[in-house]
Amino acid sequence: MDQHMGVGAKEEDREEKRTVPEITLRPFTISDVDDFMTWATDDRVMRFSRRPTCTTKDECLTHMKDHIMPHPWCRAICIDDDGRPVGLVSVMPAPGADVHRASIGFDVAYDYWGRGVATAAVKKAASAVFEEWPLLERLDAVAEVNNTASQRVLEKAGFQREAVLKSYLVLRGESKDMIMYSLLSSNSLKVEEMNLLDSENNSRWMPGK
Amino acid sequence: MQTDSAAVPPNHDHRKQEPEITLRPFDLSDVGAFMTWASDPRVTRFQRRGPCTSEEDARRYLADHVLPHPWYRAICVDGRPVGSINAKPGQGEERFKASIAYRLAYQHWGRGIATAALRAAVSSLLEEWPHLDRLEAIAEVENPASQRVLEKAGFLREGLLRKYVMLHGKSRDVVMYSLLAAGPKLR
Repeated sequence: MDQHMGVGAKEEDREEKRTVPEITLRPFTISDVDDFMTWATDDRVMRFSRRPTCTTKDECLTHMKDHIMPHPWCRAICIDDDGRPVGLVSVMPAPGADVHRASIGFDVAYDYWGRGVATAAVKKAASAVFEEWPLLERLDAVAEVNNTASQRVLEKAGFQREAVLKSYLVLRGESKDMIMYSLLSSNSLKVEEMNLLDSENNSRWMPGK
Repeated sequence: MQTDSAAVPPNHDHRKQEPEITLRPFDLSDVGAFMTWASDPRVTRFQRRGPCTSEEDARRYLADHVLPHPWYRAICVDGRPVGSINAKPGQGEERFKASIAYRLAYQHWGRGIATAALRAAVSSLLEEWPHLDRLEAIAEVENPASQRVLEKAGFLREGLLRKYVMLHGKSRDVVMYSLLAAGPKLR
């Protein structure tokens, strides 16, 4: 598992360990519905999501047709070993005149939690949208105060915590306090820098997490 | 009474109480009064829309934007409009909150009018829209006067949002404030 060793790797780096899996982002196709259902029907994943939990394949198909396919920027998170989607990351531009701002959201199938998949996806998505949308200066995200897993993802992806916004959104019939995070284009790593860091094996999957 | 860090108008009033203000909907006949603040760059400096260039421009804005708005009120002192305050409700999962914005003719700054208007607006909104959980307002980091107005009106500072709004071609850091409706809501 040491094929990503950089030059000058220390003795301790030669220990058996796994790197963060390589992830790629690609647009969804309607044929991804079965993989999409894996997380979209799973309440453990969707309970904090702003995207609705689907219960049937028909609901998932409708959601994909109505929201995912026409979305300004929505990508399937794929893990290279078999290329099938294990999650979703999407970036929605802010409404009206704030062309410099967009919000990011993500869902990852439960079986893939704890491996840095969401963090890697958020980093790649951030880098991609800052490159594709030159006017973009601010990427933000909100996470429920109880959703510590998502908060950690955003922090590891380089987002800065800004504020607790009380009763900010109503999700599942309840008013929720949300934590606002942001990443500025000036802070975001470029794709080349990220690849360099990955190859130096700076990200590690910690067993038992 | 606190003074603005910007230039204080010459008729600065030292009354400790807030002045009596009333809020009412606008009418097209208010265009003259509306121009007083809407054409003043000192006022429009912190709003998205630049100054109105003519009465025709102001009339069009009143007709197209102000009159059909969900909640837009004239701030009146002795029955005369000296500014405006508006509330924009959110959509979808944000429908239980509304954003407030206000502006005041420069000659009336520093007298507590904006604070009084905000208090009156909050009171009306919580009554007229009982489903509301949250009122929010933003003030640019470079606008400490407005931050004080919001604090005096009972809004709580939540945090600094970096490059949150685009204003006159440049992204700006703002402070987010909120005021919550009392009590949990049943849905």
